[in-house]
Amino acid sequence: MTLRNLRGRVAFIFTDENFDVDQIVGVKNIRLQDEQELARIAMQAYDPTFSRDVRPGDILIGAANFGYGHPHYPPMVAMRGLGIAGVIAESFSPGYWWGEMAEGFPQIACAGILGLVERWDDIEVDWANSSIINHSKGRTLSFAPLGRVDQKIIEAGGLVRFLKGARDERSGEPA
Amino acid sequence: MGSTITEKVLARVSGLPTVQPGDEISVKPDFVLMYDFPGYTDSYFRQMKEEFGIDKVGEPERFGVFIDHMLPTATPQEEEFHIATRRWCADNGVALFERRGIGHQVSAEVGFAVPGALVVHFDPHVAQLGTFGALGLGIHRNMLEAFVGDRISLKVPGTVRINLVGSLQPGVMARDLFHHLVGKLGPSSCRFQVMELGGTGLRGLSTEGLQTITGLSMFTGAISAIVNPDEERLAYALARARKAIEPVWSDEDATYSAVYEIDLTEVEPIVVVPPSPADTRPLREFAGLEVQNGYLGSCASGRLEDLRAAARVLAGGHIVPGFSLNVVPTSQDIMAAAAREGLISALVEAGAFVSSSSCDYCYGRIATMSAGQRAVSTGTLNVRGRMGSPDSEIYLCSAATVAASALEGRIADPRRYF
Repeated sequence: MTLRNLRGRVAFIFTDENFDVDQIVGVKNIRLQDEQELARIAMQAYDPTFSRDVRPGDILIGAANFGYGHPHYPPMVAMRGLGIAGVIAESFSPGYWWGEMAEGFPQIACAGILGLVERWDDIEVDWANSSIINHSKGRTLSFAPLGRVDQKIIEAGGLVRFLKGARDERSGEPA
Repeated sequence: MGSTITEKVLARVSGLPTVQPGDEISVKPDFVLMYDFPGYTDSYFRQMKEEFGIDKVGEPERFGVFIDHMLPTATPQEEEFHIATRRWCADNGVALFERRGIGHQVSAEVGFAVPGALVVHFDPHVAQLGTFGALGLGIHRNMLEAFVGDRISLKVPGTVRINLVGSLQPGVMARDLFHHLVGKLGPSSCRFQVMELGGTGLRGLSTEGLQTITGLSMFTGAISAIVNPDEERLAYALARARKAIEPVWSDEDATYSAVYEIDLTEVEPIVVVPPSPADTRPLREFAGLEVQNGYLGSCASGRLEDLRAAARVLAGGHIVPGFSLNVVPTSQDIMAAAAREGLISALVEAGAFVSSSSCDYCYGRIATMSAGQRAVSTGTLNVRGRMGSPDSEIYLCSAATVAASALEGRIADPRRYF
């Protein structure tokens, strides 16, 4: 199995370094768990019509050390609920990155991404060539490929499925 | 070419002769630690059984569970949560440490901080076991892997070496030094790396001070922090070690991804301004700012050195009327030692509210602030809502600064008391 390319529009660009993702839903809402409710309130502080404008497959862009602080899961639950397919950032904070990758939510570190894209550009994550293609502007930029295990976790759709698959393989059962 | 202490630990637990940064390896952690908390331990216990069909963990002696959050309980549901944890530990033959103190401290006291060991936890503050030459990794949700098999997947991190020179001024604490590092090197300076502390300046820092620095290392982007163990820390750790492991040290010719030198004499008291742990500022820029609350405790403070500093500042004085000063020793052993030294009476007589050890003050479960209130705190974090209302504010600082500020009801420089 190989990873299917992500193709979508740039839904939003978070330009702040060390961005605290909790701000996406607001600290007051950080204990919410319902995906639809989270999706409805997401991004109110940034773009009140975000949930209406975004389409399944769209991609978020972040700056350096994206996810710094003490990130909680609800903000990206909201984003997945809106159909966001992944996040590309200049770089990630480790705790955030591990947490979202374990959810099977692609997180791609790509130095220079802020210079490659503008909001609503049509972009593609080309896994095989480890590059981001900006179809709107006809430009590409390469990124460091995911590790072997990280790739398998994304392929499997998250850590739990990956571990189950690995366990089945070991016991000789069909995956 | 030599190896760092981190690479040597990971080579041993992977069974490989050597490892290099970037290698993807499979390792068997020596210890798997956790505190019980909703969404974490209950999920692992359930998933292990229901999704993987595993009734009991293999080698239960590798596991350790701490009850330090939701302590004491405030609702029947919290107590039921702890009951389920106690039952799981009993069924699995796993050691449970309850009402002993904050797990990251207690784990050193009860012998999990074995020099050369790999210790995993879901919480990255476990990095403080690096004080004793153990590699403590906070692996977040990947903890599940340690429940359903004996090995976990890891990518070998690079190491950033920080050489300390000189010594801290009186009244400046290891806590100030940690945030000085964040300010000077940046909040992503050690991203996905291990921070290794060394240099001649290390000799002037206490074990407790190093626990503070290594435990907070995540705010430089580090995935852990480690110190090559000296004789004092080896003696402490080996006397209570739960497993026989050969200690290891970094080679002289080890390769580092970056090397920095930090002059300790330059460090001055700091505050970390809300709402980001990245926003380190000199205390002098905020001296005089009114505060109503003070918290001295957490896994990043509340040890004897911190309690001594606070008692020294508060000696013979009294906190300002209307100010709430909560002091929470990091473990019950520390509480007892502080009582024997007369520190507890000194703090209480100065107006401090002293509690038995618990994590609950650090995240606002108790001593909860309301909108518009402001705290000086040795807790781990200053993000919005961490200690109560999203419209309250937390200024992180040293134990000495908390005490000095409690006397004035304003952020105050503690150096004049030392």
